[in-house]
Amino acid sequence: MEPIIHLKDVSMVYGCNGTRTTALGGISFDILPGEFVVITGESGSGKSTLLTILGGLQVPTGGAVRIGVADLSALPADGLADFRRETIGFVFQAYHLLPYLTARENVMVPMSLERVSPREKVERADALLASVGLAGKEDRLPSQLSGGESQRVAIARALVHDPPVLMADEPTGNLDSATGEQILDLFSEWNGRGKTVLMVTHNKANLSRATRFIRLRDGQVEEDRMLQSPPAEPVAV
Amino acid sequence: MNIRKLAWKNLLRRKSRAVFTGLGIFLGIATFVAISSITSQMEGAVQDQLDRFGANIVVSPRAEQVSLGFGNIALGGTEVAHSRLTMEDKGRIASIHHKDRIRSVVPFLMTAVDVSGKNLVWMGLPGTDVAGARPWWKIQGRAELQPGEVLLGAEAAALLGKGPGRTVTVGSRSYRVAGVLQPTGEKEDGMVVADIADVQALAKKPGAVTYFEVAALCKDCPVEDIVAQIRQALPGARVSAIRQVVESRKAAVDQLRRLGLGVSAIVLLIGGLMVLVTVMGGVQERTREIGVLRAVGFRKRSIFSLLFWETGWVSLFSSLLGAGTGIAVAYLASPVFGIEHPSVVFSPAIFGAVAGLSLGLIGAIPPARRAASLSPTEAIRTL
Repeated sequence: MEPIIHLKDVSMVYGCNGTRTTALGGISFDILPGEFVVITGESGSGKSTLLTILGGLQVPTGGAVRIGVADLSALPADGLADFRRETIGFVFQAYHLLPYLTARENVMVPMSLERVSPREKVERADALLASVGLAGKEDRLPSQLSGGESQRVAIARALVHDPPVLMADEPTGNLDSATGEQILDLFSEWNGRGKTVLMVTHNKANLSRATRFIRLRDGQVEEDRMLQSPPAEPVAV
Repeated sequence: MNIRKLAWKNLLRRKSRAVFTGLGIFLGIATFVAISSITSQMEGAVQDQLDRFGANIVVSPRAEQVSLGFGNIALGGTEVAHSRLTMEDKGRIASIHHKDRIRSVVPFLMTAVDVSGKNLVWMGLPGTDVAGARPWWKIQGRAELQPGEVLLGAEAAALLGKGPGRTVTVGSRSYRVAGVLQPTGEKEDGMVVADIADVQALAKKPGAVTYFEVAALCKDCPVEDIVAQIRQALPGARVSAIRQVVESRKAAVDQLRRLGLGVSAIVLLIGGLMVLVTVMGGVQERTREIGVLRAVGFRKRSIFSLLFWETGWVSLFSSLLGAGTGIAVAYLASPVFGIEHPSVVFSPAIFGAVAGLSLGLIGAIPPARRAASLSPTEAIRTL
């Protein structure tokens, strides 16, 4: 099977005032479609940097990154934006909902650039909110939602374009364990539909849902282990 | 949800910032519209007043100064007119190309006549034109003259011992005194003013005219053109513009306009800078939000567009509000500036609204470009 994500000698070096910090020191691995990969590591191990590179939010200083057929190193800024919109769903630890928009409107934000009728946008947003268990809360502002509900809205927003890859940075970091489990259930459900999930986390409890485990240390892959088989019918890019 | 709605929602959330952003434009446009409206109306008022002040072109027969002498003894000189003016020339003056710029053509005939044993200068002009030709005269009695009636200058009235309602006699003919001028300090004080037909009859010069006073409407006055056209119509006449009056009209109006434009430009510049500073500050504050938008696939152009729409909404509303306020202020303040009949002048308001919107959008360009060029990495570091 062709990998959906291919990394070869990817390095990331930050430089500031003559000081150079190596966040990633030339790592390589492939991820197959439908895998649920949990990436862990200590603070400063480079896991968040890796996630932003995989998500097309920044370009590595060295190496090659290919997701599907897209060579991220070669894409211009607008090409990366299109790539993020069409291929990647992002979920952040702090949700990062726009506070002045309702749950429905937050889910509709990525659709702002689409030439789709407002009615269709609303229907899609409401359907996604219902799928993450927020039916009836579409008109609530983020300030009127609990942490778990806010993260569900963020997940719905990430899934709005039905991306083949979902990336999450500590998605349960701000939630209690019960709510965190519910969020992980959503990721598992999504993964169960053949989508690829990459999740950065400190929490080893999250490993129970993963099919693969990658541990980073000082910008290198310290451990890369298969935990279980991915779903039968993975979705490619 | 689209970019316009996203921009609108963000404005509603940050009302105080939006108000502050729009405040500069609002003040600038309100000031511009108010000053422009007032100066425009003052222009008209000054124009009316100056036009009412009287004539600005004098048409007289061309004359030549002839020196008289005998040997080395100078005997003074005299003016020899090449031609004479007549009442028919009024029609010629009134039919020049720029005839629409001519408010009035008033013929005058001057002659010296013995009145009740006193030799006085008579000034003849159409009886109905007295008020228009000499608006500054203050008359005790009636200003409009009928045939057979006269106005007496203050000194002439004192000399003759006559007042309104009395009669003065010239030869066998009597003239009723319709009014007496209050002292003007000019030659009119010693004159008798009568209908031109009566003066022509007294001078035994039917149809004769000593000079014409022409009042041209002088907004952007092409007075040189009017003078040239009258010269062409009356080749034997000397046509001279009272340039000082014309120039002072232009200068007064231009000064007002320059003052208005100067003040408005300064206020608008400050307004533009306020937009730039507040929107730039907003971009700094919203780095995280911009990062989220970039993460979900907003292109640079979309971020630029979002900032543009936000500033566009603010600029549009503050410009319209400023234009409306400017009109209202100008209307209410008109009496303070001596405008007797205030009116609503829409052209500065339309220009102001468009200028305010443009200024706001121009002011938004640097911060919008900064927001658009913000790399997702830079923004995402704050996430």
